[in-house]
Amino acid sequence: MSLPVRSATLLALLGLAAASLFVGVIDMAPSQLLRDSEALKLIAISRLPRTLAVILTGASLAVAGVIMQMLARNRFIEPTTAGTGQSAALGILLATLYAPGAPLALKMGLASLTALLGSGIFLLIVRRLPVTQPLLVPLVGLVYGAIIGAGVTFLAYRADLLQYVSIWLNGEFSGVIAGRYEFLFVSGVAAVIAYLAADRFSILGLGRDASISLGLNYNQMLLLGLVVVSVITALTVVNIGMIPFVGLVVPNIASRLLGDNLRSSLPFVAASGAGLVLVCDIVGRIVRHPYEIPVGTVFGVVGAVIFLWLLYAKRPSHG
Amino acid sequence: MRSLVQIAAAAVLFAVPALADTLTVETARGPAEVPASPEKIAVFDLSAFDTLNALGVSVAGSVDKAYLGHLKDAHEKAEVVGSLFEPDFEAINAMQPDLIIVGSRSSEQLEPLSKFAPTIDMTVWGDDLLGLAKARIEAYGKLFDRADKASALSAELDEKLAKARETVAGKGKAMIVMTNGPKVSAYGKGSRFGWLHQALELPEAVETSSENSHGEAVSFEFIRDANPDWLLVIDRSVAIGAEGARADETLDNALVAETTAWKNGQVIYLNAADLYIAGGGARSIMNTLDLLIEGFNKPS
Repeated sequence: MSLPVRSATLLALLGLAAASLFVGVIDMAPSQLLRDSEALKLIAISRLPRTLAVILTGASLAVAGVIMQMLARNRFIEPTTAGTGQSAALGILLATLYAPGAPLALKMGLASLTALLGSGIFLLIVRRLPVTQPLLVPLVGLVYGAIIGAGVTFLAYRADLLQYVSIWLNGEFSGVIAGRYEFLFVSGVAAVIAYLAADRFSILGLGRDASISLGLNYNQMLLLGLVVVSVITALTVVNIGMIPFVGLVVPNIASRLLGDNLRSSLPFVAASGAGLVLVCDIVGRIVRHPYEIPVGTVFGVVGAVIFLWLLYAKRPSHG
Repeated sequence: MRSLVQIAAAAVLFAVPALADTLTVETARGPAEVPASPEKIAVFDLSAFDTLNALGVSVAGSVDKAYLGHLKDAHEKAEVVGSLFEPDFEAINAMQPDLIIVGSRSSEQLEPLSKFAPTIDMTVWGDDLLGLAKARIEAYGKLFDRADKASALSAELDEKLAKARETVAGKGKAMIVMTNGPKVSAYGKGSRFGWLHQALELPEAVETSSENSHGEAVSFEFIRDANPDWLLVIDRSVAIGAEGARADETLDNALVAETTAWKNGQVIYLNAADLYIAGGGARSIMNTLDLLIEGFNKPS
């Protein structure tokens, strides 16, 4: 990607991250950092963890969205509309019901596994759809995700866990403090792995026959992609909750601006994902200050508007 | 509105000859006419079940879970006729109760249940929770011919309330929070738990004007900033019988640790089932007041 775009994105992200550090219930000005040890403590315990959690979540969800779109060869899906998020929620729900005392890492492992299974089945279904009907894929994804979501709701209803489940279904960062978000670094690592394999994912997006004739180990890459998407989605759902639209709008904007060469566009995707989620989290903290609006709710509104714009705005051509 | 009044007036007029076997009680939807001294009753509200139990009225049918420890025995004797939200209409039909009582979570089922038996809505909710709770005690006393027991229970409640008010007076500001897994909501004066502030004249750590009965999502910074002298904690996952992240685990962190409440060990874990599931029941209210009296009296 071009240097101006790159530096502008980076600058915007840094500015938002700095703003995020100084938005909160307790009033704190940047100047206090130098002379006030309490302010430094607050940054270390509360503000920095929250900002890092938002960046990790936004960046990795956007990357997961791109990979999912490459795997399904369709621009209009993302992990929360392809059953991945719902499958992850199903995993945690099962863990909560049958092994409530299990450590968090184990629950996340189970959620990742069910997410993997859920998105794998989705890809098997999608493969049978006619390629001439691109809108069928997101439609099938919505139906499929809704069916799994209905299963989750049913189980939760039977176990009186409906409001508990809503924690996972609507993402928010209000509970993030030092010691309660570090697992998200794993999803950051998953996003980096996706970046390292970016070229191969670009080829994967050309389809099975094309990738095999170009010498790609198709099934291996498909599995790697599924694992990356599932791990990122499961970790986000368990720790933060679902944030809709991130994996949908960010990759689409990136594709408009930079094309589909993932090696050059993935850093932009990650940075824009992080930036957009930062904006929404800051808005959620300000609107009803000192109370909070969940980031999932704010992004639902913002994301829907961007998505409509993407659908109706004219697509620029690039070579 | 006028037609309602007319119907009510007509009902009262026509009811006069039948006065021997029906009587009028005050419900959440105004006065209602019900059969006097019903024998077989089905109850879809645990506040109501709690108060009836305290008055020694036996309940023939109720919801699938007891939730409250002190209702366990009475609940075991009752037949299951649905859940807190949904009646099992076939079970109700088979039971043929003389009277059905709904409230809060089940109050929307009043209409469908009325087809099976006389049904009254005895919801206890809102700012004047204690006043309503006492009105219900009185109504049940009249309905089940236990006026003496009812006024004794009412007096006991008043006494406990006066003691609690005295105990918390001058001991600082409090904040009511409810944990749901890893997340925390704060409940102000206008909320479903706001009666604790109002009836006990317990000052709030943060003045709220909010009427949101479901509380507000807050960060731990919010609790640190409010710096309450007392934290009153309700663990929702315990209220519904689920295991998971516990309230003390959720709150045990560097930010909450800086509040006066945490430093002085002035954190009171309230019984979630009493407060959240059966908030308006006579015994539940008294249990909650007992926990507060005990908590505020503990030397710190």
